[in-house]
Amino acid sequence: MKTILAVDDSATMREMVSFVLESAGFRVIEAEDGAQGLDKATATPVDLVITDQNMPNMDGLTLVRSLRELRDYKTVPILLLTTESSDGMKAQGRAAGATGWLVKPFDPNTLLEVVQKVLR
Amino acid sequence: MSRDRNASQGAQDAAQAADLLVTVATTLNERLALTAGELGRSQDLLREASEELMTAFRGAADRIVAAQKVAPTSDIERSDEYGKVLNHLYQAVEHLQSHDLVNQLIDAQKLRVNKMREKLVEALSLARPPVVNPGQPEMWIERSRQMLDCIVAGISEIDEEARVPGSDRKRAGSVDLF
Repeated sequence: MKTILAVDDSATMREMVSFVLESAGFRVIEAEDGAQGLDKATATPVDLVITDQNMPNMDGLTLVRSLRELRDYKTVPILLLTTESSDGMKAQGRAAGATGWLVKPFDPNTLLEVVQKVLR
Repeated sequence: MSRDRNASQGAQDAAQAADLLVTVATTLNERLALTAGELGRSQDLLREASEELMTAFRGAADRIVAAQKVAPTSDIERSDEYGKVLNHLYQAVEHLQSHDLVNQLIDAQKLRVNKMREKLVEALSLARPPVVNPGQPEMWIERSRQMLDCIVAGISEIDEEARVPGSDRKRAGSVDLF
């Protein structure tokens, strides 16, 4: 069973993402912000990280950069799931090492298609 | 004598200008207090509705995830009923996200309004202590300048970047893989 780390400061968003992923058979670990996400990813290896961008303590892009510095996370897919949709922000995500960018609100089926694709 | 009279008139005018700024700051602060109250009430109503929906959603979601865990995926996928329920829940997921985003938007606006009000209260606090030399226009002018700085700083909070959810609905749900 693949494990996915879902990072979002909104409890509702975490619940929505977790439900969709668990309904498709994934195991989900949740984190409330980038700093907690980094701690959890370091403590437990995960197969995919899905993170929000705007969060207290550590934002999504900083989390991506921090994870990419770790040997275990050089190639693990990382998706940004955020309300930010500007081309400039997406370019920053790409430069930071993100695998993809999804704009909220997300369509559950689309999220699952993307997850299956990047985990292949 | 004429110079004294002019200075006294100047001090009176400057004092009136300072009073005018107090009126502006007070009125703005009162209006913003109403706005903050309305935003709070809207958020309470939304939260109430969202909590009811979330309770209903959780009841169904927990059952379907539990079913997914006990039965092999292929068996479940064959079940039409399971697929139908899951589709309904997925639709609910999309709408519940919108509730959450609106809630975040209201939070961001409340933060802005509160920051504006803090600056206006600061401006009003500057008007409280008695002027040391009320006969000198410079004292009133300096006070007005400081109050005006606070009021302008409050108004400029409108332009401050807040953690506001994006509003570009055309891009909602879009995917870019790098």
